[in-house]
Amino acid sequence: MTTIAMGRLKQLEVQEYALAIVVVLIFAVGAILEPDTFPTWDNVRNMLTQASVVGVLAIGLTFVIATAGIDLSVGSMVAAAGVFGGIMLGDEGTSTLVFIASAVLFATGLGTINAVAVAYGRVVPFIATLAMFSIGKGIALLLNDKLPVSLLDLNGGSFGDPKVGSLLWFGNGRILGIPVSVYVFLAVTVAGWVLLNRTRYGRFVVAVGGNREAARIAGVPVRRIIFSVYVLSGILAGVATVLLCARLGSASPVSGNLYELDAIGAVVIGGTSLAGGRASIVGTFLGVLTFALIFSLMTQMNLSTEVQQVTKGAIVLGAVLLQRPEARY
Amino acid sequence: MTTVLEVRELVKEFPGVKALQGVNIDVLEGEVHCLLGPNGAGKSTLIKCISGVHEPTSGEILFMGEPLPVGDPAASLARGVATIYQELDLVEDLTVAESIFLAHEPRRGPLLDFDRMHRDTTALLTRLGHESISPRTKVRALRPAAQQIVSIARALSVDVRLLIMDEPSAILDEGEIETLFEVVRRLTADGVGVVYISHRLDEIRRIGNRVTVLADGRTTASGIPSTTPTEELVELMVGHKVDQLYPERPVGGDEVLLDVRDLRRLPAVRGVSLQVHAGEVLGLGGLVGSGRTELLRLVYGLDLPDEGEVWLDGKRLPARPAAAISAGLGLAPEDRKSQALVLDWSSAKNVSLASLGRFTRPLISIRDERETTREQLRVLNTVPDDPDRVVRLLSGGNQQKVVLARWLLRGCRVLLLDEPTRGVDVATKAELYRIIRDLAKSGVGILVVSSELEELVGICSRILVMREGEIVAEVDGKTASERELLRHAVAPTDSPDLAEEVV
Repeated sequence: MTTIAMGRLKQLEVQEYALAIVVVLIFAVGAILEPDTFPTWDNVRNMLTQASVVGVLAIGLTFVIATAGIDLSVGSMVAAAGVFGGIMLGDEGTSTLVFIASAVLFATGLGTINAVAVAYGRVVPFIATLAMFSIGKGIALLLNDKLPVSLLDLNGGSFGDPKVGSLLWFGNGRILGIPVSVYVFLAVTVAGWVLLNRTRYGRFVVAVGGNREAARIAGVPVRRIIFSVYVLSGILAGVATVLLCARLGSASPVSGNLYELDAIGAVVIGGTSLAGGRASIVGTFLGVLTFALIFSLMTQMNLSTEVQQVTKGAIVLGAVLLQRPEARY
Repeated sequence: MTTVLEVRELVKEFPGVKALQGVNIDVLEGEVHCLLGPNGAGKSTLIKCISGVHEPTSGEILFMGEPLPVGDPAASLARGVATIYQELDLVEDLTVAESIFLAHEPRRGPLLDFDRMHRDTTALLTRLGHESISPRTKVRALRPAAQQIVSIARALSVDVRLLIMDEPSAILDEGEIETLFEVVRRLTADGVGVVYISHRLDEIRRIGNRVTVLADGRTTASGIPSTTPTEELVELMVGHKVDQLYPERPVGGDEVLLDVRDLRRLPAVRGVSLQVHAGEVLGLGGLVGSGRTELLRLVYGLDLPDEGEVWLDGKRLPARPAAAISAGLGLAPEDRKSQALVLDWSSAKNVSLASLGRFTRPLISIRDERETTREQLRVLNTVPDDPDRVVRLLSGGNQQKVVLARWLLRGCRVLLLDEPTRGVDVATKAELYRIIRDLAKSGVGILVVSSELEELVGICSRILVMREGEIVAEVDGKTASERELLRHAVAPTDSPDLAEEVV
């Protein structure tokens, strides 16, 4: 009956406010538990930098999930695109542009394969992208004999003081004290919000997830829309690849591992419905922050990654249970 | 006669909503007791209280003189209270036999006794006059009308004393309704009490003994004779008089808007040609399954035709909905909830979905969208006209208005309406008829499919009748009679005897 009571104040808005409060609360808890290290500018900067990779993936996934689809392959695409970009540089490669272009194009290509399989091959998204999950991981290992590619040549062989516009600058550079990758994440978020909420395309995406048949009858080009969200997810996987490799200074074939789960988790606790038809970019953004805060805090409290994994799963499960009071059996 | 069911001063409150505020009804053995009321009057809540789905807030429900356990569907069913809901509640992937015996399967030891299940299913379907439905068919493969029969058979698979039917006829055609009535008569002859919900007054007169009228969660009349005059019933339902159900009939012009040429998609549509003129309401009658919905889908480009062409305003349409819409077609499909609306969306978003271009500059102006859709909802007298209201919470009639508002906003040349008043109360029906008339008057061509013959006769300029995928007759709206339409719909025109059997 909550839906009746909330006839006007939409469920999504409620959830966004609630999540914003959660973010503030976690931060407050962190500040109390670890007053010396947690609420510091350094720590916040670190958290945001790390969150930006998964954050960019999560924005793409918000679109996919809004159509009632899923993309399990984003983490694998990140690994494959990074290694691909690295080997495209060649032995004495020094062009940041070559790396960025080839990584983004490669990820977009993989995303397009997902798109063709789902939209035109009518493969269930879960299966199509599960296949790509495996293919991407395989490609990442095959491309350079399971070895990581160092990208430090792009910066004269070290991390020191990256030039504006160079690859490492995207991962380690700062503007006004804020990391460049955070600007990229924010830009992607804002663009995603505008696209989803203020353009015909965004409406169509959510309409397809909300009621595919009704969307078709109202004139929505359903198949093209479904196609496009997987391509978009690929493009943003490319952007995430650039941010990750730029931060690490190398492209590892085993990077991006489990990123799809973090990203999907963030989308889901942000209130986007896995059944489609309900999507929130603000929610996804806050979901990403929630995860980032919790893991930063847990790391500082010296809790093991195993404990973090369990917590992550429990949070997602709990958030989904809270979200759907009407779906009780 | 014994009283099977007695409901006294029943109250049901949901958070923020008083759905029932003192309802009284008594059902006798062997009677068909009709429940009338506009959408949102509380009929569904009442039957859910009786069948144990909802727990009433206060009041009494006596079954065979004893209090019925509340909020326990299994207990109600075990005592012989069976319900057939408006929305078919079948699992589509099960077979007919499995659906009928779902949750009370006959067993031999721990294993399912399929032989007995199939035997009993055949017996039940034979009792319903539908032995042609195979117990092994998947429910998914059946048409809605046949699925309804399975639902009824499911209700009959327990020993029923009280059968509640929520708009069972909404998806049946005339012939099937008569079969349904035959079943109901047999059940009442066995002493079963029936609660029958329908918006169609003619049915209530044909099958009902007494009537209880609900309005705003209260009984405004309980147990009055089913022969009560229509005006009186309508007044009890809506609290005021509905002056006239059907507005004056529009007359079409000469200009041909929609030209359908020999459209064919086997097996449902076998070569149909028709023309819709500017300003006319062209009716498409026929039995459920005669191919009317399939024809509309072909015209609109939702399915690909085997053969044939669709022309609009002298231009040939490719078989794509988006192309049909930009050429000036609009479709209000049969099932609003599953085919027309995004139920979790606001009215505004649902209305604007086909016209987003006009709010885009280059981003969508939310304010303009809300103001424009509010205006459109007001014109159609939608309640509430709040553009932010989630459409899931609107009544059926108002949901239909949201669909119509979408096409009004878009501005169509030809509007295809499939069962536009299904599940809509009388007062709202009258409003919808007026909207259709106004559209026609403004020069829009309207093609309306309806299984309610009275409605076709009431509002159409011309009426075409389909049978087995072909158009078999054209009748002038002014001179048409329901009997004549039915005769064309069920049998070759030269053998009226068969029609007599059905009527």
